[in-house]
Amino acid sequence: MLHYDTTINHMVEYESPQLDVVFQALSDGTRRRMLRSLSVQPRSVGELAAPFRISLAAASKHIKVLERAGLVQRRIQGRTHLCQLRAGALAEAERWLQYYQQFWSERLDALETVLRAGPAEPPRGKTR
Amino acid sequence: MNAVAPIEVRVTRYFEASPERVFDAWLVPRVLGQWMFGPRVRDENVVRLDVDPRVGGSFSLKVERKGELIDHVGQYLEIERPYRLAFTWAIKGPSNDAPSVVQLDIGASGSGCVLTLVHRMDAKWSDYADRTRDGWTTMLDALADLFD
Repeated sequence: MLHYDTTINHMVEYESPQLDVVFQALSDGTRRRMLRSLSVQPRSVGELAAPFRISLAAASKHIKVLERAGLVQRRIQGRTHLCQLRAGALAEAERWLQYYQQFWSERLDALETVLRAGPAEPPRGKTR
Repeated sequence: MNAVAPIEVRVTRYFEASPERVFDAWLVPRVLGQWMFGPRVRDENVVRLDVDPRVGGSFSLKVERKGELIDHVGQYLEIERPYRLAFTWAIKGPSNDAPSVVQLDIGASGSGCVLTLVHRMDAKWSDYADRTRDGWTTMLDALADLFD
């Protein structure tokens, strides 16, 4: 696999297949509310489904997406499936945000310098 | 957070320059090479900057960083000089960075202008993300089957 330099850029690019899955999982409102609820405490599939008036099967599908993204871990306790938040995967998204926050801030600094130094208008070819 | 833009970066900046100058700095390759990429900005060389500035047109910004070629690619979604520019943004390569969308809004302010940049992962691009995700999902499915 290609990898780039040692900047965060490298990391963001390298880990992007996982990021795709995380962003995909986060793109749905029901799943985001499930995560929020899990950030308080671990919950059963039934508890996660309850606020949405959706079937256990539908809830389970959402949870599977979250599991694939590594955002949620499911433990089986007797007959209950207990879901738990895994904050580590969210850190990936967090790093994406931090990387681009810094990226654009730096670029806009550079743009400011260029605008200050440069001519008011780019030279036109029609002067004679 | 809303359903369309779950994740976004937002940067706002005032420039002592006309909206037109700030807008054009994003579309003129010669100017892009002075601030977005190149040795003046970081330890890298510009290989080639191709820009086709029309809605639906593509750009390819190739730089070389420590022997690695990095191609930043995208497509223009909205071009309304000098107030609005929107384009997709991704890094081309085997890792297939999921496409994201960058939107610029520029408004005159005092003797200059204010630029607001929003960079977001857009649910609208999930079809594309699905494709890049396939390999990963297939692998995880195969792994899950092993333990079934």
